[in-house]
Amino acid sequence: MLDKPASALRIRERLIESERLMEETGCYDGITELQLRNQDPLKFETLHTKLRAYCVSAREMARRISASPGVREVGEMVVAIYTPEGDAIALSNGIMVHVHTMSRFIKWMIRNGYEENPCIRDGDIFANNDAFIGTVQVPDVMDVVPIFHSGKLVGWAGAVCHELEAGGITPGGDVALAQERFTEGLFVCAEKVGENDEIRRDYVIRCERNLRMPIYWVLDEKAKVASCIDMRESVKALIDEIGLDYWMQVSKEFIEEGRRAQLARTRQLTVPGIYRGHTFYGHVTKGKPGYQPLGDPDWLYNMPIEMEITTDGKIIMDFEGTQPWGYHSMNCTPAGMDGGMFVTLTQHMNFEGLVNDGAWMATELKLPHGTWTNPDNEMVATATSWALLLPAYGVFQRLLSRSFIGRGFVEEAFVGQVNSPMIEMGGTSQYGKLFGMAHFECAAAGSGALAIKDGLDTAYVGWNPESDMGNIEIWEQNMPMLYIGRSIVPNSGGAGKYRGGCSFVSTWLVSKTDHLRLVTSEHSSRVFDNGGMCGGYPAPTCQKHRAVRNSNIFELAEKRAPLAHHTGTNPHRSELELRLQGEHVTMEGPYITAPHKTGDVFTHSYNGGGGYGDVLERDPLKTAADVENGYLTKEAAEGIFGIMLDEDEDGYPVANLEATKRHRAEMRAKRLAKAKPVSEWIASERGRVEKADFAPEVKKMYASAIKLSSRFTREFSDFWNVDARSIFMPGAKP
Amino acid sequence: MTSYSKEVIADLVAGTLPWPQTRRVMSAYKDDDRFFKYVAVLQDRVGWKDPILLPVSDHLFICQSGDERVTRCECGHSFGDYRKNWKLNAAIIVRNTEESLREIYPNSDIPDPQWMEIREFICPECGTMHEVEAAAPGYPIVHDFQPDLEGFYREWLGKPL
Repeated sequence: MLDKPASALRIRERLIESERLMEETGCYDGITELQLRNQDPLKFETLHTKLRAYCVSAREMARRISASPGVREVGEMVVAIYTPEGDAIALSNGIMVHVHTMSRFIKWMIRNGYEENPCIRDGDIFANNDAFIGTVQVPDVMDVVPIFHSGKLVGWAGAVCHELEAGGITPGGDVALAQERFTEGLFVCAEKVGENDEIRRDYVIRCERNLRMPIYWVLDEKAKVASCIDMRESVKALIDEIGLDYWMQVSKEFIEEGRRAQLARTRQLTVPGIYRGHTFYGHVTKGKPGYQPLGDPDWLYNMPIEMEITTDGKIIMDFEGTQPWGYHSMNCTPAGMDGGMFVTLTQHMNFEGLVNDGAWMATELKLPHGTWTNPDNEMVATATSWALLLPAYGVFQRLLSRSFIGRGFVEEAFVGQVNSPMIEMGGTSQYGKLFGMAHFECAAAGSGALAIKDGLDTAYVGWNPESDMGNIEIWEQNMPMLYIGRSIVPNSGGAGKYRGGCSFVSTWLVSKTDHLRLVTSEHSSRVFDNGGMCGGYPAPTCQKHRAVRNSNIFELAEKRAPLAHHTGTNPHRSELELRLQGEHVTMEGPYITAPHKTGDVFTHSYNGGGGYGDVLERDPLKTAADVENGYLTKEAAEGIFGIMLDEDEDGYPVANLEATKRHRAEMRAKRLAKAKPVSEWIASERGRVEKADFAPEVKKMYASAIKLSSRFTREFSDFWNVDARSIFMPGAKP
Repeated sequence: MTSYSKEVIADLVAGTLPWPQTRRVMSAYKDDDRFFKYVAVLQDRVGWKDPILLPVSDHLFICQSGDERVTRCECGHSFGDYRKNWKLNAAIIVRNTEESLREIYPNSDIPDPQWMEIREFICPECGTMHEVEAAAPGYPIVHDFQPDLEGFYREWLGKPL
């Protein structure tokens, strides 16, 4: 019944042995010398590139099988080839988040005795979307198949797609309202879902009966299995060519080479030392329908990160001082934290394509037990873990960028990612059928600025390096809403010498339905969840939602009167309020409300990225072009950047360099006059700290951080010269 | 081995290298001799003679100043020993009212000043804004970077400090 691995050890024993060898030698699987690489480097590199090509080709083929616009249009998929022990050897492009999460899934099955029951046989298909086993969130469903050659387990092929619908308490994949695991939707927990290369009918029936839009999930399953089989057959043919012994050795050398390459790259691009940063996330749900009273409805999380780069090139990220897990959908598992790390690291340091799990082995995550990064309760929900992952790894990007600036690789310094709030929806489609979907145009937010240029406008998210928003026409085919506008949001990039990329706002008319549930996830309230760098400001990231119920839009259209196509630039009165009659709604935080129907109008804003450098150094000519193209308003150019603009004879903005120089000199003088020494500010703020004169959510945040972290307590106390515990936890036992 | 002239590095740092060339620099294998050329470019830019040991921000540098190593602004202002947080010797403007936040965010929804404030860290001599922190009220000022200067020079650059 059992298939023995090539080493003649049982695979579980082989895994333990591999980990022991790594611990003893510091090298992957005890490979202290890259013998095959040294023997024939050309053959070695050719094989590595071949494996990468197998993955890229399998992913492209699979995308054409999928029915989901998330996979077809946006490319929410990645595939990879693994060793028998579950370490990634090669991977495709795509959502590289999942390279190590799938590794965790394979290792979990090995550790949990899957060899004995349910057995690992040629032709088997295993699936998982349980983040505590190895994925990020419930919609990230992965499939792996074992690769056997000559009767021996010689590797695994794996594929992940982000599903647009997961069957949770609210529609879509990122189940915003889930407060516990039990409301997140359909779980497949390291389950054998197919045999003999065929997906089991009973599994498909379970999907069909538990999802709002099973066609996405089920066809994605077929796409993933097809890609896995394709990779498996390619690897088997390769082994026929190079021999089994060579394969078993070379696949491990690829990983050890990846580990060494990552360490070398860190030594080449960065500066050793300790880097620190932080960001925040605010969540506001008080009074919203559907939330169970399990925890505080409104809360504030701090995310302090300390990154150490050691002189041997290892990157260590420490999340000590952050907040506990909570009854919300934004918790994260260690697998998810790995995913965030891997997708960020590979974009910044491993862009040549030959990355694998070796890069992960050159890093370390310190995730305090009991926090949202490593919950001590496996019943917590993780369906929207990106809400916290993105801000956290945005900090990582800024910390890495500080090291690039120190070393002189300014072209790699990048202020980083922001949250890109997502719309989830479900109900009755425009075809009169049950439907559910996540809208992925959020895959094109504004990026942070670079240290040498502005950020990308409407073109970047951290979680999908390809960052494609898909086609409007395809989205319209899949949901009962029509676009009546999609516009750049002026001033939505963080200000700076180089501004952050701008975001956009979409405006929809609900059409041909009497029941459309709209829910949003992954956007912060009341705080910035990103930052700027070197004097640049954070981007505005706490947009409210605006909608109009029972609007008079059809009447206006009939009369050919102007419609609202965006929210406009007046924060106190939107274009919707100006142009449309009906019941106007402005909602802070997640949009969770009663169903919409035909004639309602809904808008949703995405986020821009943080800025880099002092605003008073921004190029006036570039700014004039920004105003002309709607990325900045004239008022912002003058008021924030100190850039005076005239108009040419055609009414286009032209920078007035002399007036700009004078205005900036005044602004600088005002700045100096207004600023006070930091020591004075600390002395004046200390009284407020001693009295804990803060909003309840801020006080709660400090109390939670102090309870979980002695380091946070010490640093807070030392900075303010106070006893933090007695202030925020009066009466608590020491 | 990839290598660029000091002029190319100067243009790259200034953000004036034409985009097609910048794109090639980004895509190519990295130039191992970058650091000292970069420091030379910055040394030409600053108006003082203390040797730059490590840039830490757009206009902040750790430099050798006599027997001391200090964090210095491009204008020459010293923020003191590089091992201490330079921000503690800076000037600060805090935006913790709706009105002051609105100056920077004129048309978007803005944070609740009870939950979040903006801290601008400024050189008290030239008024350059070196860093901006977005933090909850009461949050300690963060010490962004403590480089392992000795380890960097000795083990990575292979040169004495």
